[in-house]
Amino acid sequence: MSGDHSEPPADPLLAVEDLRTLIRADRGTVRAVDGVSFAVDRGEAVCLVGESGSGKSVTCESLTGIVPQPPAEIVGGSVTFDGIDLRAADTDRSAIRGARIGHVFQNPQHALDPVYSVGDQLVEAITIHREVDEATARERSIDLLGRVGIPRAAQRVDDYPHEFSGGMAQRVAVAIALAAEPDLLIADEPTTAVDVTVQARLIDLLRGLLDDGMGLLLITHDLRVVAALADRVLVMFGGTIVERGPVEAVFDRPAHPYTQALFDSYDGTTRLAERPSRDELPADGCRFRAECPHAVESCAGGEQPGFHTVGDGAGTDDHAASCVYYGDGYDAEVIQSAGRAVQQSATGDDDD
Amino acid sequence: MAAPSERPRFERVDWSAVDATRRTVTPERTILAVGLLIVAALWLYDRYVAHVYLVAEWAVAPVDWAVMAGLVVLTAYGVVPAVRNREATLRVASAIRDRPVLVAALCFLGGLFVVGTVLPLVLGRPELNFGYVYQPPLGFAADAGWSPNCAGEIRQGTGIQRYCEGSLQAPLGTNGRGQLVESLLVSGARVAIYVVVFALAFVVPLATAVGVTAGFRGGRLDDVLRTYVDVQLCIPAIFLYFVGYMYVGASLALLLATFGLLSWGPVARLVRSEVLQRREDGYVVVARSLGASDWYVARRHVLPNVTNTLVPAVVHLVAILIVAEAGVAFLGFSDVELYSWGSTIAEGLSPDRGTAHQVWWVSTTPAVALAATVVSLKLVGDGLRDVLDPRGEH
Repeated sequence: MSGDHSEPPADPLLAVEDLRTLIRADRGTVRAVDGVSFAVDRGEAVCLVGESGSGKSVTCESLTGIVPQPPAEIVGGSVTFDGIDLRAADTDRSAIRGARIGHVFQNPQHALDPVYSVGDQLVEAITIHREVDEATARERSIDLLGRVGIPRAAQRVDDYPHEFSGGMAQRVAVAIALAAEPDLLIADEPTTAVDVTVQARLIDLLRGLLDDGMGLLLITHDLRVVAALADRVLVMFGGTIVERGPVEAVFDRPAHPYTQALFDSYDGTTRLAERPSRDELPADGCRFRAECPHAVESCAGGEQPGFHTVGDGAGTDDHAASCVYYGDGYDAEVIQSAGRAVQQSATGDDDD
Repeated sequence: MAAPSERPRFERVDWSAVDATRRTVTPERTILAVGLLIVAALWLYDRYVAHVYLVAEWAVAPVDWAVMAGLVVLTAYGVVPAVRNREATLRVASAIRDRPVLVAALCFLGGLFVVGTVLPLVLGRPELNFGYVYQPPLGFAADAGWSPNCAGEIRQGTGIQRYCEGSLQAPLGTNGRGQLVESLLVSGARVAIYVVVFALAFVVPLATAVGVTAGFRGGRLDDVLRTYVDVQLCIPAIFLYFVGYMYVGASLALLLATFGLLSWGPVARLVRSEVLQRREDGYVVVARSLGASDWYVARRHVLPNVTNTLVPAVVHLVAILIVAEAGVAFLGFSDVELYSWGSTIAEGLSPDRGTAHQVWWVSTTPAVALAATVVSLKLVGDGLRDVLDPRGEH
């Protein structure tokens, strides 16, 4: 690379701009992903956190267009992967899927086809995109199984999915996603069904792949996994990203009221029960305003508030929240002091 | 600054080019093309040069051509994949071995196939022999007055009654025209096998293709296909057969075309509803996320996962078609030259000598063969459903 420092840094591996996905149901249209923007670089792990139904999975599935259409419909935004516009009509997305962007789904036991042996499915994942002879593909399958921590991989490779436990199926699903050595791995809760020792092993594996330059977009509910793997965190709520930043900054100084509420709920105190059950999220303005203790009039109307840098004095411009309090004319201290209270109660948890 | 994008990776290949060469020439397609070309060449030869005879004076009829083409299709897409996927075939074979009932049913159907395809060529048509009519089967006796001659011993009964005993010349007896029942059975087996081959080679793929396409694709195509199937279900096959019968007379080809091509609607519906569930399954999503095409996913992941439903439904369809053919033949609307089991049963039930129960062997033997065939089919359908599922227990 040239040493010209005035040039902006090279394009990120994956750049998402203003992605919008609707899900059309009989009872109306849900704006599952509503203007999401983020980037994942090579060798970087970006973590999507947020409650169920916040649009994390739909975001991930919209990137390569594997979200079922219909009922879903990707209505706007751009997704650029390594210089390729994934939303363009003439892009051969199936050549990217699997080969360059791997996907690990939730529900591992369902991710495997019951009529084929695990080895067959790994071989399939390898040979869909690459012309390799069967012996090589099989050897590589056994190697992959070993790497994700399946004991006696050489024997287990001929077993059928129903002979695997949930955690092992999960690991096989990871192995399938990694079979073609993708440049970007999108992992939807890859560690939920496995016990802690296997989880540690998977995290080690993912770390090794990150060191090799693979990008990782990770969805998880487990803040320990976030702490162990992520470089940056995106907090999603109601189809929008409400806060983004380096993992330390977001953990230490959660800036958005929703992030604070989310982190607070992890320590199991009573705050969760106090939150009102919601029928409909607001469709405009700040989606969190109905539950936000700090909501003001300007939270309503228009788009989700723009990102404002959280001036937390740590020198990180990356840490930003989509909250009017961080804009001009508001006192962000109101929210940040609330955040500090949360942070104190959650500290014990997030450093594993 | 080290560029991480330059880490070692597999060589990039133009997959579309590789796919094209990889996909167009397969053993299945080669066999199919060669086989169909041979059948077509024979057909042209038969039509424009000289008649092709299966055996002696037996000219090839349209239905024979259709069944020959059907056999080619079944060889290309049944036998060839089974040979290519040796491991899967061996797994299924070993699972079959654990089920004696399934083995017995398969043996029966296998025997029927050989009898129905090879023996008619060897034996030819059942020969008339008016000198020896209503000969009883071996071990039984019949009124000696019915037949000019008796092949076996003649036994004196009470008064003037004399009985003709069964002999090795006609081990299963003869009918009212002196035709051997065993050769009538063989001819009937041929008709049954024709029905099976036609159904498996043409009707079942059609039903499956429509069901999978409608379920997997959904949308407008689903609406069109579903409506078509619904309309088709409203047309009674037997009515259409009789309309055709008025113009071309009794014909097995007509029967197969009308009953076969109007009967697959329920199978297509069943497959469609099953596919609707399967296409949401995780492995389908995973296969898509791996970059597999719709066609690939449908063939490799959806189809094998609907065999649970498909196999029994298909086998049921075949059994229904065999019974329908026998029914039409029983009513006397089929080609009498083919000696379908149905027409032999009808013949035995209205004999010109004695009563139906006195000449029971003429109707009972083909009835037993028909029943055994249908029962075997059902057993094979249920058995195959179980052995094709690697999860085993149901």
